[in-house]
Amino acid sequence: MSEDEEITPHPQPLAQTQSQPIAIAPQLPIPSTPLQVQPVQPVQQIQPVATDDVQMATAETPVTGQARMDTAWGSSEGDEDISEMASIGQTDSGEIFKQNYEPWKGELNPRWMRNWAILRHHILGIFKKGHRPWGIPTRIFLVLVFFASLSDAALTLLSSLIGDSEFHSMWGVNRDNLYGHVLGFFPRNVMYYPIVAALLVGGVISEDRLHGTSALYFSRPINRFDYIGMKYASVAFIQAIIIILTLFLYYLTEIMVFGRGWAWIVDTFPIFLGALMGGILLIITYTSIGLALSSVSKGKFFPGIGLLAIILGTKTLAIIVKNLFDREILYLLSPYDCLAHVGQTLVRTQPTYDQYSWTWSLASLIVMNAIALYVLSSRVSSMEVTRE
Amino acid sequence: MERERIIQTQDLSKFYGPHMALENLNLDIKKGATGLLGPNGAGKSTFLKTILGLIQATSGEGTVLGHDIRTEGAAIRSRIGYMPEYDALNPDMDAINQVRYSGELLGMNPIVALQRAHASLQYVGLGEQRYREIKSFSTGMKQATKLACAIIHDPELIIADEPSNGLDSTAREFMIDTLINTVKQGDRSVLMASHLMDDVERVCDDIVLLHKGKLAAQGRIEDLKAIDREIEIHVWGGASKLEAAMIQRGMRVRREGRVMRIAHESEELTSEILLCASQVGAQIRRMHEYEASLEDLFLVIMENLGYDVKSSEDLFKHPIHARKVDAPGHMGGGAS
Repeated sequence: MSEDEEITPHPQPLAQTQSQPIAIAPQLPIPSTPLQVQPVQPVQQIQPVATDDVQMATAETPVTGQARMDTAWGSSEGDEDISEMASIGQTDSGEIFKQNYEPWKGELNPRWMRNWAILRHHILGIFKKGHRPWGIPTRIFLVLVFFASLSDAALTLLSSLIGDSEFHSMWGVNRDNLYGHVLGFFPRNVMYYPIVAALLVGGVISEDRLHGTSALYFSRPINRFDYIGMKYASVAFIQAIIIILTLFLYYLTEIMVFGRGWAWIVDTFPIFLGALMGGILLIITYTSIGLALSSVSKGKFFPGIGLLAIILGTKTLAIIVKNLFDREILYLLSPYDCLAHVGQTLVRTQPTYDQYSWTWSLASLIVMNAIALYVLSSRVSSMEVTRE
Repeated sequence: MERERIIQTQDLSKFYGPHMALENLNLDIKKGATGLLGPNGAGKSTFLKTILGLIQATSGEGTVLGHDIRTEGAAIRSRIGYMPEYDALNPDMDAINQVRYSGELLGMNPIVALQRAHASLQYVGLGEQRYREIKSFSTGMKQATKLACAIIHDPELIIADEPSNGLDSTAREFMIDTLINTVKQGDRSVLMASHLMDDVERVCDDIVLLHKGKLAAQGRIEDLKAIDREIEIHVWGGASKLEAAMIQRGMRVRREGRVMRIAHESEELTSEILLCASQVGAQIRRMHEYEASLEDLFLVIMENLGYDVKSSEDLFKHPIHARKVDAPGHMGGGAS
């Protein structure tokens, strides 16, 4: 029936239209004196129920549904004393949850404390729960690489124990071994350091984008520079534990176990510093490229694989081109080759690409890092607080 | 008593290239709970980013809690708590450490941050679940965790972006009660951006309505609703004739089937409605003063601004529709 249809008039009895005086409701008499309040009689003491009236279950009682109900709920028919029930109902059941807003009057610490929190969150996550949750495979691999990187220190120790000078010349501290500890291609720059970098940088920024946790940072008084800087420092620090700390331990082992004097230290320290510089350059380059890849992604797989592809793929390409066309110039596209070339110059070992100046490699490294940092900063500056 | 001002803007404008996101926004938001409303593309997100000091306004000025939005973004973000609309939690962390970390990012000492994280999670009803990983949480629990992150440092202003979005009725009820409690018991201010009018109406005393980057309405909800007083009638038979008769007598009528709402503009309105009904032979089976909801108020304002919408749901669920209206005529839109 639509709302527009015509209404058919039905004959209906008309209401009584004769006006009638409205009857005034009689007022209740209000007593002038207040009523006496009757004292409430105390509740009559509950008489104990005769035990004979209650059927107690015995060992012989058959286990039926009725018996179970009786055991659970009693055997009466529901005519219990109400006053007894009321007393149960009045029992204070306590409060499970009470919402109380608790104010806080403390002072917030300045910028350095916020930056320290980011650094601490990432680094401590490797060692303990409650901080950044690094994956178990990542942690295991880091431990394995740390000990594998100490292999030269262990072999130096062994050579001091067996006293074999040839063995020591193979593994002890010298120009080539210091270079090899940081920049040797196999196994360190195939199986150790690039994979460590790939595992570390993979999710550092991309997971903030994936989970939206960038909002957690940028809705706080943290600027983009601090965000990038602390993430960069965290990843670099963990790599430094594996590369720089083990280099230092290797050098220290030689001094300790062979009782090296100041003359030896003065002779070899510049080489150690060269290797140290090479290690720092390696960490910076791998971290820059890795974080740039992480910033353009929403997962940790692509940045990790991408970093490995860049480091190992360009190296492989340079080798192929050199073997096929006898042209070495493509090594400038390979971060590892450029690092190795600069490192060889710093440590003063025989350079692999001696027909080109090491400054070409350094320039190439600077360009690679500049491009990576540009991508990183522009991508991080586009990270949103409100939505991605 | 005059309430303290927490957010104030003067001629605030923001352009993204040629696109205008905010235009000459003059806002005066006072202490208490305020709802931030507006269709998609109205400029809510830009407004929030501007007052957080994350983007620079093209022109104009403003203050949040007395801090200049152009130069003191970090100070503003230290004193406010922001609860984002979307997921902003690491699923592999447990709730207590996530909230603690959010406190540390504000500059809290780790031990103090941990103490406050316990208190905050207790407050949002996650006291028993605080050691669970966030990936095992329901949507309601994640929202509560985000609120705990926002209130860990007891901020003076909490900016909650769609706090009850995607929650079931129980979780939604709890979230709303928590926000109300924060305002009433905690004496804190809340700026709540939401598409759920009922929630805004329950939590907030004031609203700010943005439209195409401009201020469409601002003030106390009760005052704004009073502008839109109506008489609602339920008609049986001859509804169209009655509607036509009332419009002919100069009444403003809104109709949905047999239910009509007539703008309450004169004291004799009820008599005039009955007169019209008797003239066209329509039965009025029910007549009462209609108490507008915030949803109605929103729709009236949007209709006045040129939107043809049946409900706020339509407007919010179909951003293309809204953007088409925003677009110039030669691009298929409705703007001149």
